[in-house]
Amino acid sequence: MNRVLGMFQRWPFGFAMLLCAILLIINLVVSPSFASPARLGSTLATLAPFVLVGFASTPAILSGGIDISVGPLATLINCVFVAVLIPAGLGDWPLAIPLLLALAMAVGAINGVLVAIVRLHPVVATTGVLFLLIGASLTIAKSPIVAPDNWTRPLAGSIGVIPGAVITLGAAALVWFLLKRTVFVRNLLATGESDSSAYGSGVNVTAMRVLAYTLGGLFAGIAGIALSALLQASGSSLATTYALLGLAAAVLGGTSLGGGRGGLLGTFFGALAIYLLQQLLTSAGVQPNLIEFTYGLLLIVGVVLGATLLSPRISRRTA
Amino acid sequence: MTAQPSAAALTPVPSREGLWSRTRTLVLQQPILQVLVLAVVVVWLLITVPGIANLRSASALLIIASLLSLAAMGQTLVVILGGLDLAIPGYVIVGAFVSANLAGGQGWPVPVAFLLTIAVCGGAGAAIGFLCHRLKVEPLMMTLGMGAVLTGGTLFLTNGNYASAPPDFLRGLAGVTSTTFGLPLPPIILIVAVAAVLLWLVLNRTPAGRSLYATGINVRAAKLTRVNTTAVWTLVFAASGALAGIAGMFIASFSSGWAQSIGEPYLFSGLAAVLVGGTTFGSIRGSFTRTVLGALILTGLSTIIVSNGLAEAQSRIIYGVIILIVVALYGRERHVRDRF
Repeated sequence: MNRVLGMFQRWPFGFAMLLCAILLIINLVVSPSFASPARLGSTLATLAPFVLVGFASTPAILSGGIDISVGPLATLINCVFVAVLIPAGLGDWPLAIPLLLALAMAVGAINGVLVAIVRLHPVVATTGVLFLLIGASLTIAKSPIVAPDNWTRPLAGSIGVIPGAVITLGAAALVWFLLKRTVFVRNLLATGESDSSAYGSGVNVTAMRVLAYTLGGLFAGIAGIALSALLQASGSSLATTYALLGLAAAVLGGTSLGGGRGGLLGTFFGALAIYLLQQLLTSAGVQPNLIEFTYGLLLIVGVVLGATLLSPRISRRTA
Repeated sequence: MTAQPSAAALTPVPSREGLWSRTRTLVLQQPILQVLVLAVVVVWLLITVPGIANLRSASALLIIASLLSLAAMGQTLVVILGGLDLAIPGYVIVGAFVSANLAGGQGWPVPVAFLLTIAVCGGAGAAIGFLCHRLKVEPLMMTLGMGAVLTGGTLFLTNGNYASAPPDFLRGLAGVTSTTFGLPLPPIILIVAVAAVLLWLVLNRTPAGRSLYATGINVRAAKLTRVNTTAVWTLVFAASGALAGIAGMFIASFSSGWAQSIGEPYLFSGLAAVLVGGTTFGSIRGSFTRTVLGALILTGLSTIIVSNGLAEAQSRIIYGVIILIVVALYGRERHVRDRF
C-alpha cells in the first residue's frame, strides 16, 4: 500500500490516470460501443477544446499564478473566427490560423504584463481581462452565428484515418514537448516553486511570467480553433463554463495551485477524467443537474485526497 | 502577501514625507478615491438621465446596489483573509430556492426558511473553511466544487419548477414600493445599511475583527500570537455562505421568482464590487464600507451604460477596465527583489 502511495506521490498525475482507467472500464461496461473506431473521432473532437483549455490554464499555474481568463479567450477566438474573419473573407487557413493565434498570444501577453510588470494580483488581473473578453465576445456575436463550410470542419471529424482532434491536441503537445527541451520549462517551474529563490539564482522571473501567460494564450487560441471545429458556430455563452472547467482539469491532474509542480500530461488526464465521468453519467441516464453535483463532489474529493494521501509534503513530515 | 503600498503606509520613509506622499497615504488608507468616483458617477447619471431623479427610480437603484453589496459581503471577508469564494452562485441559488419554492410554494414559515438557508449555506462554507485551513489547500478549487455541488443539488430538488414566488412578507422587504416605518425606503436598503454598520463595528472595534485582519496578513504570525486561525477560517467561510444565501433569498424576492442562472452574475459582479471598492487580497485595507461604495459605483455605471443604449456586453468591458485601473492604482504587489 505504501509503495502505491509513494508512486502516486512521485507522479502527481497518477491519481487522475487511475481515475481515468477506472472510469474508462465502467464506461465500456455501460456502453460497449464507447470506444468503437467509428465514434473515436467525434469523442476526441468533444474532448479537444476542453483539454486544450485545461492546457491553457496550466503554464500560468506552474509559474505560481493563475489565469481564469483562458476559457473566455477560447470563446473570443471562436467568435472572432466565425463572426469577423469569415465574413471579412480572411477565413482561409493560411491567413486565419496565424491571425487567431497571434491575437490569442497577444491577449495572453497582456495578462502576463499585468501580472508580472504592473504587478497586479493574478486573480484580479485575469478577472479584469475575463470581463473584457466576455464583453468583447458578446459584442462580436451576441447570439450564435452559424459558420459556413470551412477548413475547421475536418478538425472535428477526421483527416484521412487520423482523427482531426489529434492535430489540435498534437500541436499543443508538440509546442510543450519542444519547450521542455529548452531551459524555459525548468525556469518556469523554478519560478513557480519559489520566485525569490529563482530570482536569486538569476532567472528572469518577470520574463518567465510574461512568457507563461503568453503560452497559455497560445493554447487558448488552439482551443478556440478546436471549439470552432466542434460547434461550427459562435458560442459566446460558453465562456464562464470553460473558465472554471479548465482550472478543475489542471488541478485534478496534479498541478499544484501553489506553483512549480505539475505539467500538461497531468492536465490531460484530469480533463479526460472529468469528460469520462460526464459521459458515464450521461449514458447512464442521470439528470444533468446531478452530473454537476457529482462533478463538484469529485473536485472536492480530488483536492482533499491530493492534499492528504497523495501529498509528498505530509508523508515527509510523518516519516 | 502584503501589498507594497500598505507597507509604505505603515512605515513612511522620512525623506519622502512630502505633500505627495502624504496625499498618497491618505488616499490609500481612506476610500476617498471611491467617494470621488461615486460623486462623478452620480452627477453623470443625473446629466445623462435626468428622469432618474425621483424617489421610485432612486430606490430601485439603491435596492440593486444593496443586493449586490449583500451578496459581496461575505466575499469581502474572504478576500481580506486572502482567499476567494467561487461558491457564491451556489449559495445564491440555495437561498432563492428556499425562499421561492419552500417558503413561497410549500408555505414554510419565513423564520424557518431563514434558518434553513443559514444552516445549509453556513454549514457548507464552514466545511470549506475548515478543510482548506487544515489541509493547507487553496480555497479556489474547494469553493468551485462546493458551488457545483450546491447548484446541482438544488436544481435537482427544484426539478424544473420555477413557477412559485417568495411569500408576500419577503417580497415586501425587497419591493420597490415598500416603506419602512412610514419612510418611503424599502426595508432591504435599511437592512444592508445596518449590517454595514454592525460589520464595521466588528471589524474595527472587536478582537474578532483584529484576528481576521491578522490572519489575512500572515497566518503564521497570527497563529504565533495565539489567534485561533482555524476558527477564523471556518467562521469567515461560514459567514460568506450564510450571507450569500440570505442575499439569494432577497434576490429572488426582488425579482419575484428565480431561474437557473440567477447566481452567476453575483459572483463576478460581487467580486468586481469588492475590488473596485479597494479591498485587496490579505490586506489591512479591506472593509465592507468599501464594497458598498464599489457596488454603488458599479450600479450607477451600468445604469448609465444601459440608458445610453449600450448593451450588457459593453458594461462587462467597462467593468473589466475599471477593475484593472483601480487595482493598478494601489493594489500592486512588491517586486521579487524586495521580497527576500
